[in-house]
Amino acid sequence: MYPRHVFAVVRKEIQHILRDRSTFVLVLLAPTALMLLMAYALTVDIQHVPIAVLDYDRSSTSREFVQQITAGDDLDLYAQVSSMEEIEALLMRGEIKVALVLAPGFARDIRSLRGMPLQIIIDGTEPQSGAFAVEHVGWRAEEFLNQALSAQMGALGVPQGISQPIDLRVRAWYNPSLKPRVDMIPGLISMVLGFPALSVALTLAHEREHGTLEQLMATPITRAELLLGKMIPYVLVGLVNVILIPLLAMLLFRIPFNGNFIVFFLLSAVFLFAILGMGLIIGVFMKTQPAALALSFLLIFFPGFFMTGIFFPIASMPEVMRLEALALPGTHYAIITRGVFLTGVGLDVLWPYGVMLAGLGVIFLAIAGLFFRKRLG
Amino acid sequence: MGDSQSEELIPTVNSNQQVIIETQGLTREFGDTVAVDSLDLSIRRGELFGLVGPDGAGKTTTLRLLTGLLKITSGSGSLAGFDLATQPEEIKRHIGYMAQEFSLYSELTVLENLRFFSELFDVSAEDFSLRSEHLLEFASLSPFRNRRADHLSGGMQKKLALACTLIHEPEILILDEPTTGVDPISRREFWDILAELYDNRTTVIISTPYMDEADRCSRVGLMYEGRMVVCDTPEAIRGQLEGEVVHVRPDDWQAARVVLGELPGILETQSYGESIHLLVDSAERRIPEIEQALKGKGVGIKEIRPAPARMEEAFISLIRGLAAHEDTPEKT
Repeated sequence: MYPRHVFAVVRKEIQHILRDRSTFVLVLLAPTALMLLMAYALTVDIQHVPIAVLDYDRSSTSREFVQQITAGDDLDLYAQVSSMEEIEALLMRGEIKVALVLAPGFARDIRSLRGMPLQIIIDGTEPQSGAFAVEHVGWRAEEFLNQALSAQMGALGVPQGISQPIDLRVRAWYNPSLKPRVDMIPGLISMVLGFPALSVALTLAHEREHGTLEQLMATPITRAELLLGKMIPYVLVGLVNVILIPLLAMLLFRIPFNGNFIVFFLLSAVFLFAILGMGLIIGVFMKTQPAALALSFLLIFFPGFFMTGIFFPIASMPEVMRLEALALPGTHYAIITRGVFLTGVGLDVLWPYGVMLAGLGVIFLAIAGLFFRKRLG
Repeated sequence: MGDSQSEELIPTVNSNQQVIIETQGLTREFGDTVAVDSLDLSIRRGELFGLVGPDGAGKTTTLRLLTGLLKITSGSGSLAGFDLATQPEEIKRHIGYMAQEFSLYSELTVLENLRFFSELFDVSAEDFSLRSEHLLEFASLSPFRNRRADHLSGGMQKKLALACTLIHEPEILILDEPTTGVDPISRREFWDILAELYDNRTTVIISTPYMDEADRCSRVGLMYEGRMVVCDTPEAIRGQLEGEVVHVRPDDWQAARVVLGELPGILETQSYGESIHLLVDSAERRIPEIEQALKGKGVGIKEIRPAPARMEEAFISLIRGLAAHEDTPEKT
């Protein structure tokens, strides 16, 4: 291994990144821009869900309940209807996402403490709004019932102090307001750092397409020298993003950064090493840039999005997927980013994930080196 | 086939030089296709060896086999004393290779491209500054040293590519159609550089579709369907042409073609603008017959004379002969 050979490739690659506009945008601007876009798009708080109410009871209690539920910015009363057919028509036209049906005897059942006969119909084609409405209605209904209960108790002369049957107080540590952005953004960092990996796959395929790889193969450079020389510049530009993105997250989205930046920087470098190993494998196997692009989406971005625990908890995945998730650098990095940003933990907790990433990187690089031949055809 | 003969025909100029490229039965198959078929090659130090043949004849595959970029299916070979099958990396240090689709790093400048290759070939910094000056001067690229490669003309790019393959002063230079798609003036400059290398006793093996370039080589190998059909000096190949060339310039080209097509003793006709080149068994005997036949059909003759055989005639005639030869056994 001649350092001079590696350095020659590194310098050439950096000159390429800085001078080729599309590569420059792809590796230095795209991750930050995408981060912004996704942070805004994926973390919009649900508000003003239009609902319809079908009140069979028509009592002052039912009216009061509807009024309480639609107060505030969460649910908007779109229509009072008088039949199920009307509800279906509104749902089908997409004018409402949720409908409430208050059964006959609504007021009577509450008064006699038999419960609350309430039906919620949600539009299953857009479950987020529905789930939000269910949660909101459930919470309001509980509050309403508690009020009714204490009114009854008061009427019977029971002291007010024990009116609450359950006193459950939820505290969300590390993300006190349970804002989705706060937990999403650190996870998204591992996604957008897939861009340097995409670029390294594209640059290998580009050299193959343009004949420069054939030229390189006819020189004394070794496979390891070439692959390392390709990888190092993209680790470096990835680290530029590792500095930019936390700044953006903190300034624009007010995400806390509770951990140690040096720890984050070091572990990010290890993550870049691993994800770039994946990029190199793609570049080694794919002969053209479109093919490399397609495979990058299949192997880096798609699983990075859905299988690394950013959206869905890994514990709830089937066993095969959980094993696959372990082989994805993003899985370990998502834990690291959340840990450093939110929990504020250090190397004492995060080192196993760093070790996993380093191990994956070595395996990926070995696979790339094994299948990259200095021969044609 | 004719390779055992060609061995004897190596010009005497080179015979005191050692053989630097040698192959025996070199074969490369791609699936069912035999791209290079038991090639025996012997090239001496300092030769300027031209490889010609139609597209798909196996020229590029041959050159890639010689650089170690492709694995040999069977046979053996050596370059500069290193074995093709087992020592491809050693060979790479001793050769300069310019692929057919050579492309430079377009975002790098002329000098940066040169430096990149010099570093891969372990050229010292002092040697680099000396040689790069010389090469840039040589290729008339000095004024453009800081221009990006993609802002150079096609001809300049080819010269820069050649300079990149020369920066480590290789013993052997392997060039795969380096002048295809280059304007005539750049082509001439490119060959002037090669001629100087030839004087410096660098061994050059070059493939080309241009017959005038083949004429400038010290020896030419004609490949056809993976085999080396003829391997000799350009003079000897021209001499192998059976028959003589007659140059005719009729006033009615169309009519003349029809008349000439029916005449006996005419082996080949090739058109050059308003003129027609005829390959005949004997110019002395056929010229009066041609004149008579054309006049008989009322076609005027502006010019008719025996012409020297060119590489092109020899080449096309050889290829057509081979193609015809191959067709006959199938029909019978």
